[in-house]
Amino acid sequence: MEPSPFLISSKKLTMWLFIVADAATFGALLFGYGFLRFGSANWTRPFGSSNIISGLAMTVILLTSSLTMLGGVAAAQDGRRSSAMRWLGATALLGVLFAALHLREWSTMLHEGWGLTANPMGGTVLFGALFFSITGLHLLHVISGVIAIVVIAIGFQTQRLTASHVETTGLYWHFVDLVWMFVFPLLYLLNLH
Amino acid sequence: MLMTKTSVEPTMKVYVSVWLGMILIVAIEAALAFAHVSSGVLVTALLVLAFSEAAIALRYFMHLKYEVPLLFWTLIPALLLAFFMMNQFWADSARLNTFRFPIP
Repeated sequence: MEPSPFLISSKKLTMWLFIVADAATFGALLFGYGFLRFGSANWTRPFGSSNIISGLAMTVILLTSSLTMLGGVAAAQDGRRSSAMRWLGATALLGVLFAALHLREWSTMLHEGWGLTANPMGGTVLFGALFFSITGLHLLHVISGVIAIVVIAIGFQTQRLTASHVETTGLYWHFVDLVWMFVFPLLYLLNLH
Repeated sequence: MLMTKTSVEPTMKVYVSVWLGMILIVAIEAALAFAHVSSGVLVTALLVLAFSEAAIALRYFMHLKYEVPLLFWTLIPALLLAFFMMNQFWADSARLNTFRFPIP
């Protein structure tokens, strides 16, 4: 059979193609946010220092989870199964922590009266619609990623799955981290009052 | 089965250095947001920093630096072109509201 011109496995190439398509989806959402944000005269800036500190904590957690994922991939490629399990477990826990902080933030905002079509500060309702849509889609990716990591870790431990499965899942997890690198500055830092 | 390791694999020490660099970029972003600079400067600076951080993540965390260059040239320019087209068309779409026929 003719080798791949990219010299990577088909599952890794498939993940790359998914990532490019998903990046276009997030890009479209963020471009839409950008145009609406700067096209609205009465845009609301709801965030204070506490929201930014919470967002910073979430960013550090997600960045750290990328590091632990790299540890997991390296351990899996070296055949160190128990070490890979520990790294992947740490990654999944950090993902759960990120999701918990995010849901806590959502809960606080919903109690304050924010919603997809509601703005308790009296300005345009677009902020709530865009914030919950974009962070919601990202959160869905985080939760899916945590489930995938747990499934892959168990499969790798029981020798049903290989190191390349761990590597491909890691690629997805780094992409989730990469998206947050745009969501945090554009949705949080630009809306500091 | 194809092996995915195509060149020298970086060590955890390299990854930790990259991670620290990315934390530093995030800290600069936050400091800029609190620095009361103009909106134009803030948006530009945050976008430049976010794209720099994304490039680092792609190169090191997602291993593009260690793959064959063809993978980068196949995927990334096409994605950037898609972003460019969004930027061109979506700005114009806002103008479409003024072209609507009046409601009878």
